[in-house]
Formats: sequence, C-alpha cells, structure tokens
Amino acid sequence: MKREKGWMIEAQNVSYTYEGNNEKALDGLDLKIRHGAKVAFMGGNGSGKSTFFLCLNGIRKPDTGRICINGKAIEYTRRGLLDVRGRVGIVFQEPDDQLFSASVYEEISFGILNLGADEETVRREVESVIEELEITPFQDRPAHALSGGQKKQVAIADILVMHPEVMILDEPAAALDPKHTRKVQEIVDHLTEKGITVLMSTHDIDYAYSWADEIVLMHRGKVLLQGTPFEVCSNRSALETASLEAPAVLKMHERLKEKGLIPEEAAPPKNVDELLQSVSGENI
Amino acid sequence: MLLIDKLSYQSKLRYVNASEKLVYAVLTLVLCVLSRSLRVAVLVFAVNGILTVGKGGIPLSRYIKLLMIPLAFLAAGTAAIVVNVSKDPLDAFAFRIGNWYVTGSTAGIHQAVTLCATALSAVTCLYFLSLNTVMTDILGALKKLRLPYLLIELMLLIYRFIFVLFKTASAITMSQQARLGNRDFRTRVRSFGAMGTALFILALKRSNALYDAMESRCYDGKIRVLSRAHPAKAGEIAAIVLFELILFWIS
Repeated sequence: MKREKGWMIEAQNVSYTYEGNNEKALDGLDLKIRHGAKVAFMGGNGSGKSTFFLCLNGIRKPDTGRICINGKAIEYTRRGLLDVRGRVGIVFQEPDDQLFSASVYEEISFGILNLGADEETVRREVESVIEELEITPFQDRPAHALSGGQKKQVAIADILVMHPEVMILDEPAAALDPKHTRKVQEIVDHLTEKGITVLMSTHDIDYAYSWADEIVLMHRGKVLLQGTPFEVCSNRSALETASLEAPAVLKMHERLKEKGLIPEEAAPPKNVDELLQSVSGENI
Repeated sequence: MLLIDKLSYQSKLRYVNASEKLVYAVLTLVLCVLSRSLRVAVLVFAVNGILTVGKGGIPLSRYIKLLMIPLAFLAAGTAAIVVNVSKDPLDAFAFRIGNWYVTGSTAGIHQAVTLCATALSAVTCLYFLSLNTVMTDILGALKKLRLPYLLIELMLLIYRFIFVLFKTASAITMSQQARLGNRDFRTRVRSFGAMGTALFILALKRSNALYDAMESRCYDGKIRVLSRAHPAKAGEIAAIVLFELILFWIS
C-alpha cells in the first residue's frame, strides 16, 4: 500500500450530539493518526469511541469540525461518501447487527459489489478472502448456525474484501472465548502486515499495551491522552480518569525495580518475555 | 420450520441448481393438482419420496413425521366427503340409527382417496423443494424469475433476522423463567407481554444498527449480492422434462 506523506486520519475539533441528547457524544475532538499505524482506542462506555468511528466513514456527520482521510476532507455527497466508505471500513462490535444475509458468500460479496466491481472480480475477491481468513470450513453454513467467533471472521472478511486503507474494529474480542480472541488477534496482525491502518477499541489494556503503536485514551467525547503505550500507561492520573489500570506487566516491572531486582536503567518491557529478560539480565 | 431449515443444509441435493428444483417442484405440483388423477398422485408421491429420502439423504423417520402434519388435516377434511347422514342408505356402507343412516357411497370413497392422495403428493412437492434447497438459493432462483426486488430483499432480511429474533425471544423468556415469570397464568401472560415490548424495542435498535452497518459498506437502497453459482446440468433438465411429460401423458 502506498505510504503518502501527511496523516492517514486527521480530525479537527469534531463535535457530535445525538438527537434528543443534551450531552455531546463528541466534544471538540482532535486527533492525528499515521499511515499504517496500529492504534488502540480506550475509554469507558459512552466516551465517544463508537461515535467517532461512525464519523470516520461518514455514517455520522459531525456538527462542527472536519475529518480528513489521507489528506482529503470527507465530502458528504453521494460520491464523496462512496469514496470514503471504500477507504475506511468498520467491523461492528455485534456481528448480528452487521451480517444481513444468511449466506456467507452473499454476505461478503455485498460491499465489493457496492463499490462497483464486476462479477468476475467480485467472485475472485470473495473466494480469496474466504481462503485468506480461513472461512472455508464453514462457508456453506447459514449465518445463524455460526459461532460468535466464526461470525466475527465473516464480519472482518466483509470489510477486508473491499480493500480498505483504514480498518476499524469496534471491540473485536467482545464476547469471544480465548481461542477465538487469539484468532481475531492473528487476523489483526495480518491486516497490519498488509499495510492497513488498524484502529481498534478495546477494554483489554494488557493487549492494547503489547499490540498497539499508539494508544488513544478517550474521555467524555475528547482525547484525554494520545501517545505510545508506555507514555499512556505510565500516566497514572490519565488512567485513573478513564477508570483504567496500568497493564500487569508494567506494574510488575515497577515493583521489581523498587525491590532492586532489575536495574534502574532497564527499558520498560512490552510483554512478559521482555520483563523476564531484564530480570535475569540475559536472553532466555 | 426450524427443522426443515436445518435439514435443508444437510441435503445431498442442496447444490443442485435451485432454479431446476423450483421449476420441478412447481410444475409437478400444478400437474398433480390439475389432473386429479390417482395414478399421477401415486407416481409423484413415490418419486418425491425417492428423491428426498433416497437421493437427498433426509432421514426417513423425519420425512414421515413431516408428512403426518398435513395428513391430520386431510383426514379431518375428507371424512366429511366419505360419511353422509341421510334417510336412504348409500351403496358402500350404512349404519342405521333410528330412522337415519350414517352412510357412504363408493364414488364418495373413491373421490376422497383421490383427493387425499393428490393433496399429499402436492405437499411432497413442496417438501422436496424446502428440504433440499436452502432459503438463500430459493431467493436466488426467484430473482432469476424476475420477482420484484423489494419482495426478495424483504425475504432475505426476514430469513436472516427471524433467527436473531427467536434467539433474543428465547433468551428473554429464559431470564423471565429464572425469575419465576411463569409461576401461574397471570404472570405468564404478563411476562409474555413484557417480552413482546422488549422485543419490539430491541428490533428497532437492531434495525438502526444494521442500517448503519450496511451504509458503512456503501448501501444505497438496493441490496446487491452474488451467490455461488451451481450451474444446471443438461441431464437433470432432460430428466425433469421427461418426468413432466410422463405425468401429462398418464393423467
């Protein structure tokens, strides 16, 4: 994928209020995201993550402010929306709200057909994404006979088949068992390898800390803090405002440092393995 | 209905071209009903049985159970044709009760048998279609028959979400039961009403969420989807034509 200069996503002073609500769902949000970044969005329910995601592909139109995708402001015309929705895809949290056809094949073909691809291309792309995301074993089953994890795989395929530049996953691991959570995480890594910018909302700070390039902490419709996982996770007051706890590995690192079990200058670990390395002072 | 849906996904005839199956079922059904002939009915009944159970691999016990459902209605309906109450006895049988006879004619019995057989065979045509074709494939075939888009889109969405609705309803019912929501008639009625309200609100919410999700994939008011192609085979078409001709000929 081409890496152009500038930002993949640029939001300036974005505000949005749902009809009939007094409180703003988004309240002057400013945000910039690099090309190809892995960004974790964190914050409590109602902090504006999902609303912001819906704004990113033009489902919701901000009351004020503007959003640029790859340097181009979203135009709220038929053509402009078609363009932005082809470049920014959302995998919704609840697959039952996204999958509208009982047939997996039909379901996946929907988005790319809407982009105007011809039948032959659609068939080729659908087949290849079915294989790529390992949907083949259950591709002939109806949607209502799929497990939660399988539905999630199809929901991701729905979007991936459209070859978006940005892929948004709204709490992809919600209600999944550990096995399927891992599966989804593998798929997410695969997306990054393909050069897709991935935005993911999650409540799992341990995963966000080890996976993301950047964490965006949201609170009451604003960005409370944006930075590298270490920057965000070592800011206790910001975490407290967002009702989050520091990742376990980081807490452990600090305790061990206090006890003098690891040297003062040891770099903060990304994961348990790195922590163990600094404890023993050698490669394990 | 859920059982039929489940079985249709397991049928060995599932991947046979859906239009073929649809045309076969409808044509046979029409011929069967129009001819009102016992011979046609018996032949259709047998062939559909062989196709569904033998070729399609639908378990015989299930098939028989499914056939019992219309049979119950048929038995009740045809009894009225066979049994008469009159002052004069008819030729087949007669039981005297006072000055009256409970009686029946040979022609009446013959008519009842034919009617019963025709109706049951007609039902096997529909069972053949619904047990061996999954709903989405039937919709694809209807699309080729130029049924209005609106109808097909409605059917597509209803078929998908009827299962979501069932799932939600049964989850609500279960949680009501866990709180003694069905301890007596009064609470049962009240729980059912509450479930209906909750379902309605949830359905509205869901439909909004679905609309957002579809819009984010560039939905513009028309649902465009592609299904995997299962081309019709010349041999199968020839067999269908031959069979329909035979039916036409013997009727």
